Amino acid sequence: MLDVLAAKKTGNKWAKRKKTLLLISMVAPGAIWLILLRYLPMIGIVVAFQKYKIYSKAPSLLNNIIHSQFNGLGNFKFLFKTTDSLKMIRNTLLYNICWIILMLVVAVTFAIMINEITQKLVAKTYQTLMFFPYFLSWVVVSYFVLAFLDPTSGLLTNLQKSLGQVPTRWYNDPKPWPFILTITNLWKGLGYSSILYLATITGISASQYEAASIDGASKWQQVIHVTLPHLRPMILLLFIISIGKVFNADFGLFYTVPMDSGPLYPVTQVIDTYVYRALMATGGDVGMSTAASLFQNAVGFLFLMGANQIVKKIDEESSLF
Amino acid sequence: MKKIFAVILCLAMLAFTFAACTSAPPASSTAPPESAPAGTPSEETPVEPAPPSDLVEISWWLHGSNVSDDAAVMEQVNAYLAGYGFKLKPIWGTWGDFDTNVVLAINGGDPVDIYFTCSWSADEYNAFAKKGAFARLDDPDDNLLEQYAQDIWSILPETLKSGAAVNGDAGYGVYALPGFKDYAVQNCWDVNVDRLTELGFTLDDVKKGFDSFGDIFAAAKEKYGNDFYPFLIEGAVLERMVTNTIIVTGDAGSNNLLSYYLDPTDVSKAVTGKLVNKFATPEYEAFVTKVNEYYKAGYIDPAMANTSQANDARTAHQTAGTYLIGTQSYSFGYEVQASAERGIEVAMVPTTEAYVDTTGSQGAMMAISSASAHKADTMKFLNLVNTDPKLMTLIAYGIEGVHYNLNADGNVEFVTEERNKYTPWRNGLGNVTILPPQQGEADLAPGQDFWTVFKDYYASAKAIPALGWALDQTPVADEIGALANVAAEYALTLSTGAAEDPAASLAEFRQKLTDNGIDKVVEEANAQLEAFLAAKG
Amino acid sequence: MSTLAETIKFRKSKLNMNEVKLPVKILIHILVGGFSILCIIPFLFVIIIAFTAESSISEIGYSFWPNAWSLDSITYLAKLGKQLWVSYGNSFLITIVGTILSVLMCVMYSYALFRKDFKFRGFFTMFSFFTTMFGGGLAPTYMICKNLLGLSDNYAAIIVPLLVNPFNIIVMRTFFRTSVPYELIEAASVDGSGEYRTLFEIIVPISKPGIATIALLNALAYWNEWFIPLLYIRDAAHTPLQFLLYRMQAQVDFLAKNSGIMGPEATKLAQNTPKNSLRMMMVVLVVIPIACAYPFFQRYIISGLTIGSVKE
Repeated sequence: MLDVLAAKKTGNKWAKRKKTLLLISMVAPGAIWLILLRYLPMIGIVVAFQKYKIYSKAPSLLNNIIHSQFNGLGNFKFLFKTTDSLKMIRNTLLYNICWIILMLVVAVTFAIMINEITQKLVAKTYQTLMFFPYFLSWVVVSYFVLAFLDPTSGLLTNLQKSLGQVPTRWYNDPKPWPFILTITNLWKGLGYSSILYLATITGISASQYEAASIDGASKWQQVIHVTLPHLRPMILLLFIISIGKVFNADFGLFYTVPMDSGPLYPVTQVIDTYVYRALMATGGDVGMSTAASLFQNAVGFLFLMGANQIVKKIDEESSLF
Repeated sequence: MKKIFAVILCLAMLAFTFAACTSAPPASSTAPPESAPAGTPSEETPVEPAPPSDLVEISWWLHGSNVSDDAAVMEQVNAYLAGYGFKLKPIWGTWGDFDTNVVLAINGGDPVDIYFTCSWSADEYNAFAKKGAFARLDDPDDNLLEQYAQDIWSILPETLKSGAAVNGDAGYGVYALPGFKDYAVQNCWDVNVDRLTELGFTLDDVKKGFDSFGDIFAAAKEKYGNDFYPFLIEGAVLERMVTNTIIVTGDAGSNNLLSYYLDPTDVSKAVTGKLVNKFATPEYEAFVTKVNEYYKAGYIDPAMANTSQANDARTAHQTAGTYLIGTQSYSFGYEVQASAERGIEVAMVPTTEAYVDTTGSQGAMMAISSASAHKADTMKFLNLVNTDPKLMTLIAYGIEGVHYNLNADGNVEFVTEERNKYTPWRNGLGNVTILPPQQGEADLAPGQDFWTVFKDYYASAKAIPALGWALDQTPVADEIGALANVAAEYALTLSTGAAEDPAASLAEFRQKLTDNGIDKVVEEANAQLEAFLAAKG
Repeated sequence: MSTLAETIKFRKSKLNMNEVKLPVKILIHILVGGFSILCIIPFLFVIIIAFTAESSISEIGYSFWPNAWSLDSITYLAKLGKQLWVSYGNSFLITIVGTILSVLMCVMYSYALFRKDFKFRGFFTMFSFFTTMFGGGLAPTYMICKNLLGLSDNYAAIIVPLLVNPFNIIVMRTFFRTSVPYELIEAASVDGSGEYRTLFEIIVPISKPGIATIALLNALAYWNEWFIPLLYIRDAAHTPLQFLLYRMQAQVDFLAKNSGIMGPEATKLAQNTPKNSLRMMMVVLVVIPIACAYPFFQRYIISGLTIGSVKE
């Protein structure tokens, strides 16, 4: 009797072990990739704290790193040695936070609306069309914006002229740009963002709606009680992830779309554009560029952990870790 | 126990992947093998152990190339080079990839022998010489130039040589061999003579200078209507033309912060010999006021005030001839080319004599990488390429009868079809004066030898006092990073006249520059310049 | 096995959905439809500009009704000749192989993370996500890929660097959480189904919308990638489309900007380039194929309303 129990136990143990091994084997290809292409290169983070120099006797990445001198936080200084520090951090944070919320609300709404369209072909067509802006690079988008706002031949400029108004000098006047950037960003990203929610809604088992409709729930109630709760993990996940990127701005949007126009800097200067211009002017030092991204990521990471903790309190299952 | 097992498993798989990955490339790589020159028996094959090779393979990273098929050319080049014990492996970098790749390769110590370098691409000559990326060619202990490259070094103009000597990792010296191409700077008013004559003005009116263009522009505006913008400018160039300042190498990129004034009557002299904060000078203020007056009168296309738009718009206006006076940084023969392309008569009115500054003399150079395994041989190779017309022609133009033909006058005419597949950037190759001239060039000097005329023009250019000096940003890099952002915010708007209220803008700009440490940069720059001039003697 | 089949059948059973009221319906069509039109107009604009003569652009700017039409951009691209088709082929190959491999790796990785009974799920979640926050920069990655892994001038050089995207792993895990009832796995385990069999025969079929979404994102990433080839590809035989066009565009832009330092030959080249229409023609060349492939993925993403009709 005891023997049998013991045998069962060891059998269980082996089964568990086997399961764990099998699951590890599923993770293995990805994990190996991560080690090789992500973790090994992290040696390079050291450069953020170095005055990087080429070891001219035997130059190689490793030798260069070994023989370069450490200079503490020297490479980070350029981020704060400017009177623009506050402005660019404020811009980066404000735009990101507003857009995270705006995009979330609009994308979820659109996903739910598309899901309610009963003609499948129409829904598909809408969804395909919505995805088109995502295909366009920021450079191309910037030329559309220019087509509207060009100081001599823009569509809006011409409209204002034909109405007898003095045309706005769009690229010299910062006031409308927070809106222009917001609209452009929403327009370009909505198709992409809503597809994740749409796929989640599609994955909701039909029986859930069936049960709700048997209970006499209206369409609206079904959205509130079935769709949204199912979307919650995805909403929270995307929220946490984007919070982790609040210190990174979309360079193409802030640099290319306003055509790098100087007078607009008060509303278009973000950390990424500042770093880019500073590095372009100083010959792109590896140490400084590594330091800049390390700073952005480290701060982003703190934000992310914070957001994750908050989500964990609300809904344990939806948290990232 | 389980954890250990898991870790061992992971490591085993890791090792396996390593093995797979490192052995994969030869198998999966279907890159066409470099065609072996007929006469070289030493071509390496991956299967057998390579036979002891007496050929030295030189890898050369070039810039600006447009090469999709170099097999035929390289076959001939290598057949020829085999006689000298070399084998050439070109890396055809171009505008889309050079900057990113070459910086990665240099920083990571890739085994490349020769890098194209200059003062305007991302592997900036002065900065990388300082960082230790390039071998010093005139090292007193092992003077490569003296030992192996006397042929080319002795025929290079003095100004080019002195422009190449910089403060590098191994002391003040030469870290790259300068290419012999157009190297002088001369800023000119680019005048549309057809329209100027039509308006009843002459080139003499243009010669009166920037401050007196008002009447000409007013007449143009009246005649050609409100949509015509007579003044076609590049903000930074215009500013330098009007104030007689130069591009300070090593300054904050496209927006210079520092001014170095030349004596317009004799460019070999500087006015004070000091560097000053460009935007704080009364000269700049006067310039801004005047250009703003022109802008407000509608003489300047608003597109010129927009970095991203300006280039496109300028090219369009030039091609269409819809301008009266423009700004142009001159190179020999420009007016003839421009007249032909635009279908109008274009004249150049220089604002100073031609001069040679650091940026001009460092326009295209060849550096030997400190990672090169055979520096002496590489130097020999560079000497050969730059002095052997047959070899240089083969590399620059391709094969006679295939890529180009020589016409009755001995000038080059390209076979378009083949040339499209093989167009290295000629000016990036080195000594171009040993090449047969192209027909278009020969037309610039009818009845004379083109290269003689060409060399005479550039030889007439005087060296500025600070030739060879470049700002080493290292001590003030943080300040320059911040200042570059400030300058980008204000400078172009002010220099193109587009500011609504230039006086207020300028005051704000100046304050911000001071707040971000411009004085420290000016001080540092002057200290460096003094030390440089002292070392130069 | 029978319980399992029943569960699936129940989930896919036919369903009478009550539709939304008419006014709401109209509002939805106005909002979504209106936005869709806003999204497609610029693309039509792209096509128009691609066929607009450069002279018209310099005179009146971009316009829906240009002064003059032209095929210059096509003529210019025709210079690429055979290379264009080679690059198209490369892009297709890279996208297809890359997408399949990356989706496979993503699904396996995220499935293990989804399993509550996986001992190391916390560790491996962090292990993947951490890499999205901190990176060593370009130079070390480049050195490792090129020198250690031999990723240079081969297809693997473009496929491997994009194989794993931690963002996709986390998203896929969430898809599993929202669409796979956990009892299903337990039921399968009781039935003695092997781990891999459970994943591919039971979990994957009911996670199609999520997998299709991840596949779409990966396919787009592979199709649009130009920076990785810029780093690792030098020979024309392996050059994908986006990189080919990127290089051409960069060259055109550079020539236009810096003809001063380039000498006369290049200046001439710069002035004869249909810069604006070329840029837009390139967009057309890139977008059309992937837009055509789009419905293939979309089939699985928008199918909620017809679940009932797809009986197994």
